[in-house]
Amino acid sequence: MRVYLPDDSAAISAGANRVAAAFAKQPGIEIVRTSSRGAFFLEPLVEVDTPAGRAGYPNVTPASVPGLLKKKPTPISKIPFLAKQTRFTFANAGVTEPLAIPGFAALEKARGMKPQQILDEVKKANLRGRGGAAFPAGIKWQTTADSSGRPKYIVANADEGDAGTYSDRMILEGDPYRLIEGMAIAGLAVGAQKGFVYLRSEYPAALKKLRAAIARATEFGILGRESFEIQIVLGAGAYICGEETALLESIEGKRGMVRYKPPFPAVEGLWQKPTVINNVITFATVPDIITRGADWHLSLGTATSKGTIPLQLAGQVKNAGLVEVPFGVTLEEVIYDFGGGMPAGCKFKAVQVGGPLGSIFPKKLLNTPICFDAFTKVGGILGHGGIVVYDDAMDMVALARHLMEFTAAESCGKCTPCRVGSTRAQEILEAILDGDGTPDDLALLNELGDTMKNGSLCALGGLAPMPVLTAIQYFGTEFRRRK
Amino acid sequence: MLTTLDSVLDKCVSSPPNILATLQAVQAAFGYVALDSVPQIAAALGVTDSDVRGVLSFYHDLRTTKPGKHIIRFCLGDSCRATHCEKSLAALEKKLGCELGETSPNRRFTLEKVYCLGNCALSPNMMIGEEIYSRLMPKSVTAALENHA
Repeated sequence: MRVYLPDDSAAISAGANRVAAAFAKQPGIEIVRTSSRGAFFLEPLVEVDTPAGRAGYPNVTPASVPGLLKKKPTPISKIPFLAKQTRFTFANAGVTEPLAIPGFAALEKARGMKPQQILDEVKKANLRGRGGAAFPAGIKWQTTADSSGRPKYIVANADEGDAGTYSDRMILEGDPYRLIEGMAIAGLAVGAQKGFVYLRSEYPAALKKLRAAIARATEFGILGRESFEIQIVLGAGAYICGEETALLESIEGKRGMVRYKPPFPAVEGLWQKPTVINNVITFATVPDIITRGADWHLSLGTATSKGTIPLQLAGQVKNAGLVEVPFGVTLEEVIYDFGGGMPAGCKFKAVQVGGPLGSIFPKKLLNTPICFDAFTKVGGILGHGGIVVYDDAMDMVALARHLMEFTAAESCGKCTPCRVGSTRAQEILEAILDGDGTPDDLALLNELGDTMKNGSLCALGGLAPMPVLTAIQYFGTEFRRRK
Repeated sequence: MLTTLDSVLDKCVSSPPNILATLQAVQAAFGYVALDSVPQIAAALGVTDSDVRGVLSFYHDLRTTKPGKHIIRFCLGDSCRATHCEKSLAALEKKLGCELGETSPNRRFTLEKVYCLGNCALSPNMMIGEEIYSRLMPKSVTAALENHA
């Protein structure tokens, strides 16, 4: 009998390898290691084939393996967390073996298209960058295609540094060919034959899978010297290297210092050559746009945010995991309908969307739709789609201090508002935390935040004040009563 | 055969020179980049000492002192904070006899902070070597140390 078990690092941390070892001792069992479905609260999730499709046993332990298969499994289609999702980019999650060579139907189709046809399709689809900035990918691609510099490069930003996010990791570990295919299609569209994946060093399992996938794709003639080559560049633990220009500096081997823009990377990027730089999920969305067409992409989502978004639920929430849905569902639906709400004994206090630079929202903003523009309207960002839920045991002053300490540690130091501002803000928050705050501190933080927002060179300094200022805005009494 | 700095640097020469990749290769070979090796690295790459030191001081991964046998990367990301990781961190520090950024007195572990391991659905997390330990609890966090002798 065949059992399916994820080979994903999160599932492994939950005990998937120990469960696999227990199954290996059972007679007549064939173990297939797949990617994870992203329903991490159910891991290790063991699946079997049934006439009605895959069915699973959640939270399996080595001790529960003997006799497990005699019990009735739950059909995957009956698990609400998964059944209610709209999976395209993560259609293979938990289903396929990460390194089994797929059909590459999108790449094949793209090879039969003129470069401008590919560009037009991506532009028409209104694919907005999934890294956080939400800039239309098609415009970047067209700009690079129209630039005269040679050679041209494709760069995948796999420096998934936003705390609370893991969708890139799941693609890299679970469906690396989808990224490879998206990058190769971008190469065809703009006339680039060389791609780089800038991968964070915190993801050693992703490195192994991606390296193996590139080798196999080369072996099968999907990648190659004559068509498109991909090289992995490993990061070195600097958050700022997720900013596109700092990332390019880092590939060049330099300090990850943010560059002035313009010139934009699409015109002068890696080694001053025209460079398309997109997030992993952006590239991973491209194959579906090519095979299904731009109109399919336009049929999903809101007026200005098209398609689906893989949200990543984390923090104090019952069912934490990856939720791919069309743009437009509300934050409340994601946290309560998918996430199942708060774990037993915890009370909701706040939610932070978009990583460590994302605003902190109270309960009353949970009706905000998941949409780039709706978030902007209420003073937040959707970013890379990370959603971290905080319970009422979270001290908002301590959280604000932690977030500013993060910025102070990760600022590249190029511009003064970010370099000095983050350290000063951290000091003020430390004083408030220690009960040494003065009545002027909150006004000073607001003023400092204003300078950082308007005077910083990139989004790190520009957005870093947001979680602190929104924490003060919605949970001001916690800051005031410390003085 | 003992790896020498020269043999590592021989493989890192490129045009234009890539300082970060070179320092990563040196650290992979020796566990850290000794500050007194900076002039030799700079000479091999044809850059200045300050170019090398600038990159060396920029990236959190690069260290200039010899670490313990195993490196623990304890996550202080937002999801781990939300799940109150500081309690597990305190238990770990007590057991190790050192704080974040330090090496245990027996030199078996170096305890470092990391902002996010991408395992946020199973917070709090830490990584020892390349192994992730998730859903950390103050009572059980130190048990992981036994797997890394």
